[in-house]
Amino acid sequence: MSTTQARVAADPTCWSCGAATGGEHFCPACGKLQPLPRGSDYFALFGLTSKLCLDAAELEKRFHQLSWKLHPDNFVLAGEYERELSLDRASQLNDAYRVLRDPISRVEYLLAREGMRKEGEHKQQAPPELLEEVFELNEWLDELRGARQTSSNGEMTALRGKLEAARKNFEEKLRAVDAELDGVFGQWDAALDAGADDAARKKLMTRMNELLNRRSYIRNLAANVQKELAEA
Amino acid sequence: MGRVVGIDLGTTYSLIAYLDKETGRPRCIPGPYGETLCPSVVSVDAGGSVVVGEPARRRLLTQPDRTIYSVKRLMGRGVADVQDELKIFPFRIDPESQQVIRVRLGDRLFTPPEISAFILRELKSWAEEFFGDKVDRAVITVPAYFNDAQRQATKDAGRLAGLVVLRLVNEPTAAALAYGLHEKRRGYVAVYDLGGGTFDISILKLISTGEGDIYQVLSTNGDTHLGGDDIDNLLQSFARTEIREQFGLDLGHYPEATQELRKALILAKHELSAAESTTVKFPLPGGAGSAPAGGVYVRKITRAEYEAWIRPIVDRTMGPVKSALADAKLKPGEMDEVVLVGGSTRIPLVQRTVEEYFGRRPHVELNPDEVVALGAAVQANILETGVKDMLLLDVTPLSLGIETMGGVAVKIIPRNSTIPASAQELFTTGVDNQTGIDIHVLQGERELAKDCRSLARFQLKVPPGPAGLARIEVKFLIDANGILQVAARDLHSGEERSVEVQPSYGLSDAEIEGMLEESIEYAEQDFTERQLIEARNEGETILRATEKSLAQAAGDLSVGLDPAERRAIEAAVAALRQAMAGGDYKLIRARIDDLNQATVALAERMMNRALATALQGKRVAEV
Repeated sequence: MSTTQARVAADPTCWSCGAATGGEHFCPACGKLQPLPRGSDYFALFGLTSKLCLDAAELEKRFHQLSWKLHPDNFVLAGEYERELSLDRASQLNDAYRVLRDPISRVEYLLAREGMRKEGEHKQQAPPELLEEVFELNEWLDELRGARQTSSNGEMTALRGKLEAARKNFEEKLRAVDAELDGVFGQWDAALDAGADDAARKKLMTRMNELLNRRSYIRNLAANVQKELAEA
Repeated sequence: MGRVVGIDLGTTYSLIAYLDKETGRPRCIPGPYGETLCPSVVSVDAGGSVVVGEPARRRLLTQPDRTIYSVKRLMGRGVADVQDELKIFPFRIDPESQQVIRVRLGDRLFTPPEISAFILRELKSWAEEFFGDKVDRAVITVPAYFNDAQRQATKDAGRLAGLVVLRLVNEPTAAALAYGLHEKRRGYVAVYDLGGGTFDISILKLISTGEGDIYQVLSTNGDTHLGGDDIDNLLQSFARTEIREQFGLDLGHYPEATQELRKALILAKHELSAAESTTVKFPLPGGAGSAPAGGVYVRKITRAEYEAWIRPIVDRTMGPVKSALADAKLKPGEMDEVVLVGGSTRIPLVQRTVEEYFGRRPHVELNPDEVVALGAAVQANILETGVKDMLLLDVTPLSLGIETMGGVAVKIIPRNSTIPASAQELFTTGVDNQTGIDIHVLQGERELAKDCRSLARFQLKVPPGPAGLARIEVKFLIDANGILQVAARDLHSGEERSVEVQPSYGLSDAEIEGMLEESIEYAEQDFTERQLIEARNEGETILRATEKSLAQAAGDLSVGLDPAERRAIEAAVAALRQAMAGGDYKLIRARIDDLNQATVALAERMMNRALATALQGKRVAEV
């Protein structure tokens, strides 16, 4: 392990020849790799607008093209400064691809960028419409743990059946949330195309944030049930 | 600048390769014995000089306390990590070892990177001999599943051996590169790499682009403690139990015999890859305990029996295989190619198991021992020349995390992220006038910090102020070698904060500097040692020739050896023998010269006689 200094662009002129770079990866005049501007945007990195319905194959193609240019392998013979720049650029590219490739992390990134979602936010209170089901589930889980201790086989089998059904139910709900999110993605993209105002955008983002919280809650439930079943 | 090479620093064997510019193909470089495989064995003798490879392997029997094998198992690991190994491997770990293990060889202590550096230096000398040119840069391969500390230890070993490590490449990725070059392949490739000490599985996607081919690793998994050694240990434990039952003999008291038995069983293992059965015949160390003097342990092993024994070991590889496929979101049937790497994939049961799982016959065209080194040479050439016709996109095998409240590990870079990869985290103070924030960096998949691998601890310095005011952004970056770098920045002042990182299981820069200085002393010692060996060899040759001449002269009076001359020669022989028993190569050289002087007249007379005999019956014109 070693320590490095973070390398930050001071202004958008080339560090080598002084020409204006226009925020490109490489200086248009001399071709040298440029420092990473702070807070640069993942979508813009791929030459994309902030649309949420992405063509996975197209994104992968652009990722490969940029990797070919920015990967540290290209800079092994270069000076230390350029090697560090390439490390910054290539790591940002990989981070960006990792985030944008997955629809959920993609929308989470967008909402965080717009200040609509705090990093690592997980609303742990149950969404009101799920309350009843969650109560019932917790009861079954308690019974299952109890049955495990008294090792009453018949009871266990019955509980397992109920919990299996509950797990399927939650997975079904998860798929429904995903489908709903997909729908809002489409609305978001259409709003961007139509040049919708801030209020309209904010409304869509609030909706997406709610769906993400709901999704995260259901996912945790399903994972818990899965875990308890595996241990039983 | 010197040459650039690719090195496979293996648990059991190590190899060095280069790219032949004429053919455009990688080739392994042979050592002095004509073999490309250099046993990863190091021996340090009483004088402190170091022997590596085949000669060191022979010393496993004669000087087991000065000789070490499988040192790769100790790289980047702490004393607590290796307790299991110590039950099986005769490592002599210094009880005083702190975080970094120190191994005792004779009366000296070495860290695992220093021992690995001896192997690297040996390989480097092979290549320098081969090129007639210096070698100063290398691509070194590591198991894909190596963690940060193990990678850093490997890089340190390179530096200690006087090599600039251009890149650490994952072994299965290197193998894929060699195969891809060998025969153009596209689509999804699974590389199953079962070596002597480690198991790796990598799932790759091979893509052709306008510029060239991209080898993108989608996922990797493995077990850094699973390999052919486990099979050897298993066979050994069976055999020792049987010997105890049949002869009442505990081989534990006979380290040399234990090594002999191991050799015999490894041979049997190799035979069982080709034959349906084999018979081990092992002469017991005689006369001890209730064992009859001259007793022999004879054991026929059939393929079926052998496979039943080793099946649990082979099955252990399937867990990582399934995880890697799940992470790549692919099914076994979706693989376009399956490639086998590592000596242990010669075992028919391994090949069958892989074939059944993927429903596809695996590739075994390239020598599974050499393929990793060949791939490393290809990558070395790309990095050396800057001429790129292919690009490797590798991944980090383990998630990077930091410890938070309650000892929970929060993952900030998930496993199988393409590297280089980074994550920024914001830290602040919890109480008023706090002057430092402690950060504990972890690697692993478990939820609690104590179950993950500790990579490093460090403290961020903050100016005193109210709680929660400080805003320090820390950037964690995993470079293209899979090694972590850390940088910090104060968001209020915009100032960079230097971060003093103490690796949990690694060597500090100062320690490496110290070792480098020491290793220069070693280089001199190595030179002396080599001179001594060469002088002794030369002495042996001239002694044999002299004995032969004296015997011949005694039987052939026409040579005319008078008693005074004979006495002079015998005195010179005795003086040379005495010098050879010592360690001064200059003295040996002087005594060789003396003996030459004493025998020169005799040699001339014998030469003339031989010539006369040979020329008898031939006319002068024919000469």
